[in-house]
Amino acid sequence: MAAETRILFRNIDEPGLASIRTYRRLGGYEAVKKAYQEMEPEQVLHELEESGLRGRGGAGFSMGKKASFLPRGDMDKYLCCNADESEPGAFKDRELMQKNPHQLIEGIIIAARAAGANRCFIFIRGEYDLQGDILDAAVEEAYGAGYLGTDVLGTGQQVKLVVHRGAGAYICGEETALLDSLEGKRGNPRLKPPFPAVQGLYGGPTLINNVETLSNAPHIISSGAEWFKSFGTEQSPGTKVVSVSGDVQRPGNYEVELGVPTKLLINDLAGGPPKGHKVKGFFPGGSSSPVLTGDEGMKLPYSFEAMQEAGSMLGSGSIIVFDETTSVVDLALRTARFYHHESCGKCTPCREGTNWTVKMLERLTRGEATPMDIEVIASVQENIIGHCLCVLGDSMAMPIGAMVKKYRSEFDDKLISQSYSAAAKAA
Amino acid sequence: MSQPIRNAVTLNIDGREVTAPEGTMLVDAAKHGDIEIPVFCYEPKLGEPVGACRMCLVEIEGIPKLQTACSTPIRDGMTVYTQTDRVKGAQNAVVEFLLINHPLDCPVCDKGGECPLQDIAMGWGPGKSRFTDPKRHFQKPLPLSPLVAIDRERCILCYRCVRFSQEISEDEQLVLHERGDRSFVGTFDDRPYIAPFHGNITELCPVGALTSYTYRFRARPWDIEDAGSVCTLCPSQCNVKFTVRDERALRVLARDNEDVDDGWLCDKGRYSFQMLASEERITEPMVRAGDGTLAPVSWEEAISKVAAGLRDAGTASAVLAGGGTSNEEGWLLQRLLREGLSSPNIDSSASGARADLVRELSSPALGSRMRELDYADAILVLDTEPLNEMPILDLRIRKAVRRTGAQLLVASEHPSSLDGGAAEAVRFAPGEAAELIGALAAALGAPGYEDDGPHAEKAKAIAELLRTGPDPVIVWGERLFRTPGAVEALLACAKALGIDKRLGPGLLEVPESANGRGLREVGCLPGAGPGLAPTQTGAAASGIRDGMVNGEIKALLLSEADPVRTHPGSEAWRKALASTFVVSIAMFDDPSTAYANVVLPAESHAEKEGTVTHPDGRLQRVRPNVPRPGQIRPTCQVLTDLAATLGQTWDLPDQPAVLAAMTDDVDFYAGISDETIGGQGVRWQELASGRSWGPAVGGRTDNQGDPPPASAGSGLLLGTYRDLWASEVTERNPALRFLKRGQMLEIAPKDAETMGLENGDGVRVSVNGTSVEARVAIRTRMEAGVGFLAEGLAENNGNALVNGAGTRIEVEKTAPAAEFEAAGMGQKATVLSLEGEAAAR
Amino acid sequence: MEAKLNADKTDWSPFPYLDDQDVISVQRGPEPGGLPGAYRAFGETLRGLKTTFGRIIEGPVTIQYPEEKTPVYPRFRGRHKLHRFEDTGLEKCVGCSLCAAACPADCIRVVAEENDPENRVSAGERFAEVYEINLSRCIFCGYCEVACPFDAITMGHDYEMSDYNRSDLIFTKEMLLAEPIDRTPLRSEGE
Repeated sequence: MAAETRILFRNIDEPGLASIRTYRRLGGYEAVKKAYQEMEPEQVLHELEESGLRGRGGAGFSMGKKASFLPRGDMDKYLCCNADESEPGAFKDRELMQKNPHQLIEGIIIAARAAGANRCFIFIRGEYDLQGDILDAAVEEAYGAGYLGTDVLGTGQQVKLVVHRGAGAYICGEETALLDSLEGKRGNPRLKPPFPAVQGLYGGPTLINNVETLSNAPHIISSGAEWFKSFGTEQSPGTKVVSVSGDVQRPGNYEVELGVPTKLLINDLAGGPPKGHKVKGFFPGGSSSPVLTGDEGMKLPYSFEAMQEAGSMLGSGSIIVFDETTSVVDLALRTARFYHHESCGKCTPCREGTNWTVKMLERLTRGEATPMDIEVIASVQENIIGHCLCVLGDSMAMPIGAMVKKYRSEFDDKLISQSYSAAAKAA
Repeated sequence: MSQPIRNAVTLNIDGREVTAPEGTMLVDAAKHGDIEIPVFCYEPKLGEPVGACRMCLVEIEGIPKLQTACSTPIRDGMTVYTQTDRVKGAQNAVVEFLLINHPLDCPVCDKGGECPLQDIAMGWGPGKSRFTDPKRHFQKPLPLSPLVAIDRERCILCYRCVRFSQEISEDEQLVLHERGDRSFVGTFDDRPYIAPFHGNITELCPVGALTSYTYRFRARPWDIEDAGSVCTLCPSQCNVKFTVRDERALRVLARDNEDVDDGWLCDKGRYSFQMLASEERITEPMVRAGDGTLAPVSWEEAISKVAAGLRDAGTASAVLAGGGTSNEEGWLLQRLLREGLSSPNIDSSASGARADLVRELSSPALGSRMRELDYADAILVLDTEPLNEMPILDLRIRKAVRRTGAQLLVASEHPSSLDGGAAEAVRFAPGEAAELIGALAAALGAPGYEDDGPHAEKAKAIAELLRTGPDPVIVWGERLFRTPGAVEALLACAKALGIDKRLGPGLLEVPESANGRGLREVGCLPGAGPGLAPTQTGAAASGIRDGMVNGEIKALLLSEADPVRTHPGSEAWRKALASTFVVSIAMFDDPSTAYANVVLPAESHAEKEGTVTHPDGRLQRVRPNVPRPGQIRPTCQVLTDLAATLGQTWDLPDQPAVLAAMTDDVDFYAGISDETIGGQGVRWQELASGRSWGPAVGGRTDNQGDPPPASAGSGLLLGTYRDLWASEVTERNPALRFLKRGQMLEIAPKDAETMGLENGDGVRVSVNGTSVEARVAIRTRMEAGVGFLAEGLAENNGNALVNGAGTRIEVEKTAPAAEFEAAGMGQKATVLSLEGEAAAR
Repeated sequence: MEAKLNADKTDWSPFPYLDDQDVISVQRGPEPGGLPGAYRAFGETLRGLKTTFGRIIEGPVTIQYPEEKTPVYPRFRGRHKLHRFEDTGLEKCVGCSLCAAACPADCIRVVAEENDPENRVSAGERFAEVYEINLSRCIFCGYCEVACPFDAITMGHDYEMSDYNRSDLIFTKEMLLAEPIDRTPLRSEGE
């Protein structure tokens, strides 16, 4: 389709792409050769920094800059690929890993060159069993072909890669919790600072990047930063694989340039809501982003900065659409329950706040809440935001807070007074 | 690395100029300006902050988000606000969140009145909760261990106890189960949390979730008085606080002293207060009547009886001072003996420490402070098991390894609990200490030592790691004195390392008895008088024993000493005590008082007034906290009265007078008074008196180690070790009785295989017809050809078999392990039954 | 002070002031005599007696204690009572010692003990093993009643607590839990 700009998905439907033979036939691993044989680590780092590639995992921090924070010097440095894609609504990494694992591995090897990392891990979500097996096989192939090992392409640099399966906690997608989990501890976020770039895995400097971010690296190296910047907007260069799901006719992953109209993504690519329905609202960046109503959101361009301006965020680039048949109160409860279940319990506001919010929303859906309860729900979300150790608490508080603000009348309809008046009417 | 120098940093908190050392966290820095920032999870003793409770959020200029003050190090010129509406909003929010699932059952909660959650909820909370839904419920209270109850509803999940278990005591038993608001603290499979330091978690808990069964519901903070003292049950000499209600000690708490205990206490010290008011205590003087029973008598009669006995013996008298004896008492004892009876036979330990070596080792240049361990580059633990002999030292060493990355080296006969964290752990056979240390001295290049023995390889590895940095600390056990030549080699090692040239690094001895160093320094050593001054050489402990048997020594005064139990050769001691006039100053009936002609009641460490000396030379005060029960008199007074009856008029009416006279007599204690000791103690090496230390003049004494083996059998070589719980304290405190252990024969897997023994088998271990019953325990980190037994047990004491160095044992299987399992005495059953026992109550 | 003043004087005087210096002038009325004098002497007296005689007809107000007793108001703070739950019969007191903390006279002593789940004394985890109030010290301020989180202790109406022995004035838990003998009448409404 014309609206799509395929870089990561260029050969995505090629049969047998997961094998190194097909991948190499289509020009794969050329970037690694270039990065290791023609370029110095500083040049690779410079190229990545120059490209302006922003992290695709949620925070949108510049990847090159992050890599440059790692101290120089001779020590064990780590690179972790965050493949713990657990955000409700996000399934882009799954497709990237399942269909094109070597693109990711190539990206990791390049990023390892830039950061000077010698020990790499792919922390993959435990539920992605098939994808884990595919990666395992691909890593084996890459070792066999000499792209991984103690001596990459004869340059003497060591890059070792291990695929590690997570144990099923959402929080392990948070980078420091991922590190704890990888070390064999309970997956709880760590206090920052120290940041992982300084003191991460096993106390060593660690670079952590998302699957999609790393998958971009081979393309930047082979075609250059300038080429990469020709896509997308000035502040968000490149393309983005967007997972569109919910009340749309053709849910799926679509790779678009950053900055395309959101309307194009939802209505044209994903086919819009079922016939006769209209978009009531949507999460622009996974379940942790504040919801946008259909009216305000559809006209925005889909980019990091536009979403931030609108009070939401692009996050992992996962659009969940809901039409007018969906009750926002139910949606809020479903969202809150997810975060309540996934809260690790380390810090107070998140642990108790998610629990309290669920209890209040449950009461609301049962029609037992008083008007004060809605005020308390809103106030509890405010009490959570900005007070937590990691972003999980905020991830619940922001969408729920936005729902209460933007769809207040739906919440009011569930109040106890309403159920009384309904009962009175029935009588 | 040496102690880092920290510059002063000035910052602005709430408009006040606050100056604090750099690296300080904001919470601590705020205290310098009298500003309190509330915290729950932050506890500097536990190491790195975790920032879990979010109570300490503050606003820092230039940072948009609120920051946790517990994890933010101060910077010069930073501006911090702790009172703004934003900060108050956050504090109110966190308190409200914390109280959502807290049961608020303060009236029945043991922590009520001394609860940080109560205080912070009052001071920083919103005053009321908007939470109307049902709270989280758990079954409660449950025994976490026989000594600690856990109430999971009250828990605010601050992680303190879990961090203690994981990172301080490193027993790694406590974990957090489940996630989110369903999290709870527990152990794997709900097994009882049994570890030597676990009582500390009750003190760490900021709410009433972890409470001691021994203190449960006993008193409220307004019912009690806190009194500071020093625990004299082991050489750690931890600073403690007794909680006293109605003149009875109800609880022991740690009193932070970074130079001694770092704020921790072991369970032995924490739960041993019950014996103070025990019904079993000896509370009046007793004299053995004609029919062999002890009958209570008046003090006057008892003292005249003692005086008569000692006068009869005259120069053939002897004294054994035990670990609980204070410096003052020790000094009076040696004066009584040396001046009153003109006898030189006094000793304070079983090791046979040689006076000239002790004097050399006491040099301020060689000694190390406790605090030095925190900055050591390498720590060598030499033939001692800190966990058993000086428990707090174990935590201190673990701290050094974990936080500052010190290299830990262990060289011991018996497998050590520190082996796991050690960079190098080596074993040597009992009696081979001198060879190993000699090899080490050779590897370090000490003159006069040759490097050719079987230990050369091990020694080289240790020597290399010891030289990793300029500041090594060597922790060694007094047991080394038992092997001739070992301490000389140790001194050679110290000199080869240049320890005596540098301030800071040095040797730290783990004495065999609680006040071992103090007693030696005040003159309870054959061959050295007060101040380690050379004097007439007398008999050491083993010499006293032999002298008693062959009639050379006719009277023995035991001061809180129980040689039958703690000294090698129990049977020989029994024979010795039975054949002479024995006076015992004791708290309880013990195997040695059974032979005493006169028994005088002893003060406990909660009743005594006096000073003790820490192994690093720190003098500390033992203060009376509870009244002496019954007819008990201060031992100082008793000894003075005894001297008066023997015709010595001393004019020392009370403890301060004795202290003054003692510090006059011990030259390097000069100028020390109650005031200079104060609440935290003082090292004599750091006073003017210590700096004027000079080398000893002459006076070499010849206390050789144990005599060569009486019989060289063919069996395993016998080794003995001290066990933390193999002591009278365990038996006299109902709370600790569940820890009373049986004898175990520890052998290497290879020996077990050749002898056809399995874990848990019952065996009879015998030497020359004397035997003890034991169960087999197979230890992997042991040398083959050696069998280890624990010393100091009430029954089947390992000491009974010790008969000079190189004793060999015969092992005979009496019952297979399955038989014990069937009788419910299997190893697994023993551990699990503890839960039900909950003996404390 | 006294000594100093006296020392200044040449001759000894028992008075602590100086005759010649410390003079206070007193204003006096006219000398007695005549009708005004008589009025001054008896007028005010008669006025006072008017009230006295005026109440004679009311009869005696003296109460013949202890045969008769003054009724007390419902909120009168007399001897303490400890309470049980009416339905279960368990003691309300859990031995929290808050009353002892609140007591300004320090006359309450509580020693708590853990409940045996099989044989409960109170509803909570703990109960008061010893609960003593030293009524010879108590000032009947009622702070204990205010402090109690379980309404386990209240001030009763009994004020007759004299005894021959001080030690008998230490009331134990059993005495405080027992239903007091109704010795003091309660003032009825409007009385």
